[in-house]
Amino acid sequence: VGEAATPGGETSEHGLKANAIGFTDALVIGLASTAPAYSLAAVIGLVVVAVGVQAPAVLLASFIPMFFIAAAFYYMNKADQDCGTTFSWVTRAMGPWFGWIGGWAICTTGILVVGSLADVAARYGLLLVGWDSAAASKPAVTAIAVLIIAAMTAVCVLGTELSARVQNVMIFAQVLALLLFAVVALAKVAGGDAPEGSLDPSASWLSPFALEDTGALVTGLLIGVFIYWGWESAVNLTEETEDSETTPGKAAVLSTVILLVTYVSVAIAVVAFAGLDRVGEFEDDDAILSTLAGDVLGSPLDQLVVLAVLTSALASTQTTILPASRTVLSMARGGAMPDSLGRVHPRYLTPHVSTVLIGILATVWYVPLNLLSENFLFDTLSALSLMIAFYYALSGFACVIYYRHELTKSVRNFLFIGVAPLVGGLLLAFLFVRSVSDLADPELSYSGSSFLGLGLPLVIGAGFLLLGAVLMVLWRIGNPRGYFERRGFEAVRPEVAAGRAEPEPVLD
Amino acid sequence: MFVVGYDDSAGAQRALDVAIELARALGEPLVIAFAAQPPGRSVGDEYRSHLAVLEERGRAVTGAAVARATEAGVTAEAVVADRKVVDLLLDLADEHGARAIVVGTYGESPLRGAVLGSTPHKLLHLSKVPVLAVPAAG
Repeated sequence: VGEAATPGGETSEHGLKANAIGFTDALVIGLASTAPAYSLAAVIGLVVVAVGVQAPAVLLASFIPMFFIAAAFYYMNKADQDCGTTFSWVTRAMGPWFGWIGGWAICTTGILVVGSLADVAARYGLLLVGWDSAAASKPAVTAIAVLIIAAMTAVCVLGTELSARVQNVMIFAQVLALLLFAVVALAKVAGGDAPEGSLDPSASWLSPFALEDTGALVTGLLIGVFIYWGWESAVNLTEETEDSETTPGKAAVLSTVILLVTYVSVAIAVVAFAGLDRVGEFEDDDAILSTLAGDVLGSPLDQLVVLAVLTSALASTQTTILPASRTVLSMARGGAMPDSLGRVHPRYLTPHVSTVLIGILATVWYVPLNLLSENFLFDTLSALSLMIAFYYALSGFACVIYYRHELTKSVRNFLFIGVAPLVGGLLLAFLFVRSVSDLADPELSYSGSSFLGLGLPLVIGAGFLLLGAVLMVLWRIGNPRGYFERRGFEAVRPEVAAGRAEPEPVLD
Repeated sequence: MFVVGYDDSAGAQRALDVAIELARALGEPLVIAFAAQPPGRSVGDEYRSHLAVLEERGRAVTGAAVARATEAGVTAEAVVADRKVVDLLLDLADEHGARAIVVGTYGESPLRGAVLGSTPHKLLHLSKVPVLAVPAAG
């Protein structure tokens, strides 16, 4: 009596559901992990304006650090499944101070992303119902976005989700709508049916080295990090997939290829079809995809793209808000935040206190920023990407430190657990530092929005980190025992690294 | 054998009382189940902390429920599993050849139930054994 085994379903050694996920599901999760339609709608205008015809190259190049960091997530996840959050990995490897601030960065991404999700959803929702004048009005979009934030927070608290089958159909429909847009746009360019100003695609568009302005390249790469955000979860599926030697591997590879092809082809299509002058005219950058879809596909097919972006933005609420509130939950359980934040709702089984807190902070932050900023999406996504780069870099370093005794045991270990996470961490740390110094001068930044003489994204990003540091110190003073007594510099036990033993849950 | 879905809500508590009464009258044991699968995607790292919290809660509430059944002289077993609640109850009923599944209701309107997902409603349609739905307030 008491603890019982899972009935009616085998559990694997790690207590995960064996045979839970088949190829199609793994493929869908791989594709959905990055919310491709929403990510493209949010990012494509910014990247094209920042780096011009090199946009496809930048989108390709920003995948590289993501790929390396995914190796870190894969191995840390393997070693530390039962309590494996970035927060707990970093705490184990680098001590409580780094761990806390890393966890804080993840919570911050939750707060930042809600505003951008709601903003894109509001605009595309208005476009879908044909109310174009409202979609162009900032107060109207802001008001609707606030309602959407409230609704999305409620959805996350209630834990309401669509059935797996509906999700599968939606994600495939999204990718197909994007590819349809890209193919038709490129066919029109090739056939001479594109409007004046269109460009013929060139192979040089795929080379990041063709870009001379490194400042623009850094801006582009930083925003590019955002579109692959979440991709690591597709790699983490291994243990939970049937026939885990091959199925998840194939699904992960295929979903990655599809994602890259989609991103790059849409980027090429946007640049080729619209030309740079036209793209540069967009002030509300997230409207670019819908406007071009209208020109490329015509009515009513263009609504497919609008619908894809809208569903993508709404569907990704759970995949982006819930992890952030779960990190809060994990931190509260580890003694790094107040207990009340770790509470789960007795009926809905979701971390409702932290979710509502994220929803409130997101609203408090979104409304004034949207009204203050000249380019809300750019400022948000840059700040968001700073946070992502920050905690991904920490995760990369944590992996190398945690596995330090294993690295010299084989060439494979050295390359995949040592070199790859380290390079990924260094690349992202470089992007972080370089972007911070670029953003320190708003004259150089692309949106030009500034506050106290600093670029707005930096103010948001650094502001949140500083706020985190203050809260961390206050928490440390109030609670010197427990979490902050942890030493850091733990190492993976050799048996765990070799997959022969269970890791000990320490933080949970 | 009766399978009871138990989450410590008012409806579930009354369902447990009814199940204990039935089990005692018929001399049958109880399986008291809590489905701990968190909503949202079952991948990623944060999921596991969430699951751990829910399993902890599940063990606490089913443990108390088992104690209550034992006190009433009924043999009871607790099951906490990383499953969705309807799947879990149906599989347990199947596996143990249960006479019936006993669950509490929240007394919600059909519309609210449709939005939030109604366990008794799904069970009524999918179960091969009788389902006893017990309202929270008598």
